[in-house]
Amino acid sequence: MTPEALTEVEMITVVIDGFEVTVPKGTLIIRAAEKLGIQIPRFCDHPLLAPAGACRQCLVDVEINGRAFPKPQASCTIPVENNMIVKTQLTSPVAEKAQKGIMEFLLINHPLDCPVCDKGGECPLQNQAMSTGRGESRYEGVKRTFEKPVAISTQVLLDRERCVLCARCTRFSDQIAGDPFITLNERGALQQVGIYEKDPFESYYSGNTVQICPVGALTGASYRFRSRPFDLVSTPSACEHCASGCAIRTDVRRGKTLRRLAGEDASVNEEWNCDKGRWAFKYLSSKERIATPLLRGADGELHEASWPEALAAAATALKGKRVGVLVGGRATVEDAYAYSKFARVTLGTNDIDFRARSHSDEEASFLATAALNAKTTYFDIDKADKVVLLGFEPEDESPIVFLRIFKQVKKRALSVVTVAAFASRGSQKLKATLIPVVAGNEAAAISALEGLTEKSVVLVGERLNESAGALSAVVELLAKSNAKLGWIPRRSGERGALQSGAIANLLPGGRPVSDPAARVDVAAAWGVESLPTTAGKSTAEILAAASAKELDAVVVAGVDPLDISAEALTQLLNTYVLSFEIAHSAVTAIADVVLPVAAITEKSGSFLDWEGRPRAFTKAIEESLTRSDLRILSMLAYEMGTPINLPSVAATAREIAALGNWDGAKASFTPAKSNKSLKLAAGEAVLSSWRLLLDLGTLQAGEPNLAGTARPATANISQSRADSLGVAEGEAITVSTARGSITLPAHITAMADGSVWLARNSDGSQTIATLGIVGGEVVSVVKA
Amino acid sequence: MAFTTEQLTIMDSIIARYPKSRSAIMPLLHYVQSIDGYVTSTGIEIIAEKLELATAEVTAVSTFYTQYKPEPVGEYHVGVCTNTLCAVMGGDAIFAAVKEHLGIENDGVTADGKVSLEHIECNAACDYAPVVMVNWEFYDNQTVESVKSLVDGARNGNPPAPTRGPKTLRTWKENSAVLAGLSDGLAGEGVSAGEPSKLGLKISRGN
Repeated sequence: MTPEALTEVEMITVVIDGFEVTVPKGTLIIRAAEKLGIQIPRFCDHPLLAPAGACRQCLVDVEINGRAFPKPQASCTIPVENNMIVKTQLTSPVAEKAQKGIMEFLLINHPLDCPVCDKGGECPLQNQAMSTGRGESRYEGVKRTFEKPVAISTQVLLDRERCVLCARCTRFSDQIAGDPFITLNERGALQQVGIYEKDPFESYYSGNTVQICPVGALTGASYRFRSRPFDLVSTPSACEHCASGCAIRTDVRRGKTLRRLAGEDASVNEEWNCDKGRWAFKYLSSKERIATPLLRGADGELHEASWPEALAAAATALKGKRVGVLVGGRATVEDAYAYSKFARVTLGTNDIDFRARSHSDEEASFLATAALNAKTTYFDIDKADKVVLLGFEPEDESPIVFLRIFKQVKKRALSVVTVAAFASRGSQKLKATLIPVVAGNEAAAISALEGLTEKSVVLVGERLNESAGALSAVVELLAKSNAKLGWIPRRSGERGALQSGAIANLLPGGRPVSDPAARVDVAAAWGVESLPTTAGKSTAEILAAASAKELDAVVVAGVDPLDISAEALTQLLNTYVLSFEIAHSAVTAIADVVLPVAAITEKSGSFLDWEGRPRAFTKAIEESLTRSDLRILSMLAYEMGTPINLPSVAATAREIAALGNWDGAKASFTPAKSNKSLKLAAGEAVLSSWRLLLDLGTLQAGEPNLAGTARPATANISQSRADSLGVAEGEAITVSTARGSITLPAHITAMADGSVWLARNSDGSQTIATLGIVGGEVVSVVKA
Repeated sequence: MAFTTEQLTIMDSIIARYPKSRSAIMPLLHYVQSIDGYVTSTGIEIIAEKLELATAEVTAVSTFYTQYKPEPVGEYHVGVCTNTLCAVMGGDAIFAAVKEHLGIENDGVTADGKVSLEHIECNAACDYAPVVMVNWEFYDNQTVESVKSLVDGARNGNPPAPTRGPKTLRTWKENSAVLAGLSDGLAGEGVSAGEPSKLGLKISRGN
């Protein structure tokens, strides 16, 4: 809440256990007590969920204006009032006895399996049974048992006999995630959490229920029986998956990451994260991880090499040559800065690009201007009068942004407009107004948007660059309406890489390469005479140049060539490839030298989330011997005779801070024209696609429990196209280009008749690999 | 089993009665029972779709209320009250005798599918204890013998008339339609408030 908002709230003074406390009107007794440091035991209470009063553990004596409630009341459901006197277990024997009685009831059917329960050691029930319960049970009957565990999805298991029916999980799913797939079923002694038998708990946010379960009733399939909480070393971390910027916690035992939890950051992810952030970390300990440098020998095979040997080989290959640098979208701010400096200082080139995906010159200009200067935050979403989604599916591409918008939709019916191929499940939950577009025609749809004010928030996804002229239309729209812009890339490192100058047209701190003053600024800080002035190449241009032998070598860091194009890997075959990687990949398979680098848990660093907010993290695995990219680049630069002097992450962060942001003349945006609408013959459509949250992404490898909850791929078409093809919902259709075809069940939904939509990288639906395109081009659509 | 167009139209008419569509969930569950005899998965799915609820939410409601049956019941569903007053007035004895007579347990159905049995909670007719209900119609002041002949009649297709309510006993499915709000025109038939229920009023008026 802002300071000015706070002053508008009426304050209430209440006496709890003899102490006065003044809190905003509407504060619950249990929360007011916390302010005094008085902890009332509780299970169902959760500050981010609506009160339920389900567990009854927080009973206290309450008196208002001298009139006492006849019985103890649940302090988690009653807001404070003036002249209220509350007596908790600390001062009221009645409240104390009531709490003890409730605890005894809760434990009657609760098994005494704490020694084998995942929650044992970090369990609110265990802890509060100690503080509020009896030493020994008086219950001599037979405890109620259930079949256990029930897999309510492939990743969440339910042990019903442990459940205290607090309804935290069901309230979370309904109120926060908008996925009411678990409910309290049956009644009385048989009441239990459950799903509808045919619809598993496949929510992108299901892992949060495991975390907030105050007992061991919900457990994660991958972590079950793996560890005891007191054997774990926890490190506050930042999530590397997307640009939402979640604070997370990494739990490590003996050098291995066993668990990740949502961390707390009220400004960003509150206390939630998505299932990808929680469970997609097996790639860190994959057998494919690379432990030593690798050199391609005369036999054409990769062989293990020592660091000096590999660095010498790489240095020889790069020194004085024409080299391009491809930085993946998940580099930390510090690593991206190192690549930027390495390219400019050591390689003497502006041929660097962090966009390992579709991109355009229009986008490069947009990034260096509008996106770089965007200051929109989550808080602006909270206050927005309207949110516009352009080339952006928040639930799939930045799930915590989705939760934030959903919260406001739920709270005050925030108006959401989406310009998209169809209304995704996420858009439906947001009750978004769909402006259906055929890919390529976004610019016109954006120009036609009306009713935006300076309180409106326009969220632009990285995909919007795929439609020529669309970003130019956004710039115009912003100028016309004064609405706020949020550029939300899909990957965690992109905003930081932009800020660090890991792109052709920018130097670190947002300094335009084309501005001599900016170049002088950076050159002085770096202690070099000058910086390269030749306009740099984009990812596509670097690949094309490499293929045409206009470049001698390419440095490739954490890039999956199939994210760029179907040809990207082939384009690298003709050139010398130096690969910085954590694990064997398509690139290492063709690389001449492979230098292993630290994965996220093995290094410190920071990301900038989509807001530009720094998300610093420290090394979670102390004993790791791997090094962050910047350290290796620094060694390589030294070997090449043009050092970049970045000995550690901390030193790099200091250098970035000292350099600061550009305060000189800002670059101006160069608009681009949109293309003419494509002509369609019968049986043709224009393809649209985006990546679903859970798909075949590299970082999700090795986690089948998570993959089991991915949304299945469909081919989405309009009703009239379905009619003309003669297909019904669920019947197979084939989408093809000259390169290949994808056959999937048809899903009929409201969309433009000229459109067909596919998941970009899901099981059975990989548009780049199979069709060779991401969208905006004509495909044929026929009944399979 | 899929629903017919006519049935789907009736569902829509039920939904149209309420300012918020989700309020129609309970009558719709009764309506599904009037067609399928119990709450089928097809029924849950169609209700979820029509009311824009998750299937889990419909499941939560249908499993909470014991009047919604997850399995088929008999054409005549017999409920014997075994709460305190009915139990001591003979309800326990009736329940035990009928179980033995029909050869089924609580929640069981006879092999011919005609009669099912359930011990039920208070039906607010303690002044007629012990009370038995068949398809939610009252049979007051019952005995072991009267209930035996009641279930025998039901199995033969000619059950005796309820003590109060309509003059003829309708089937489970027919009465489920009534609970869904579809009138069978019998609401005015028979006794509604019986003499014992009005006794207190009479005494108070006399004084």
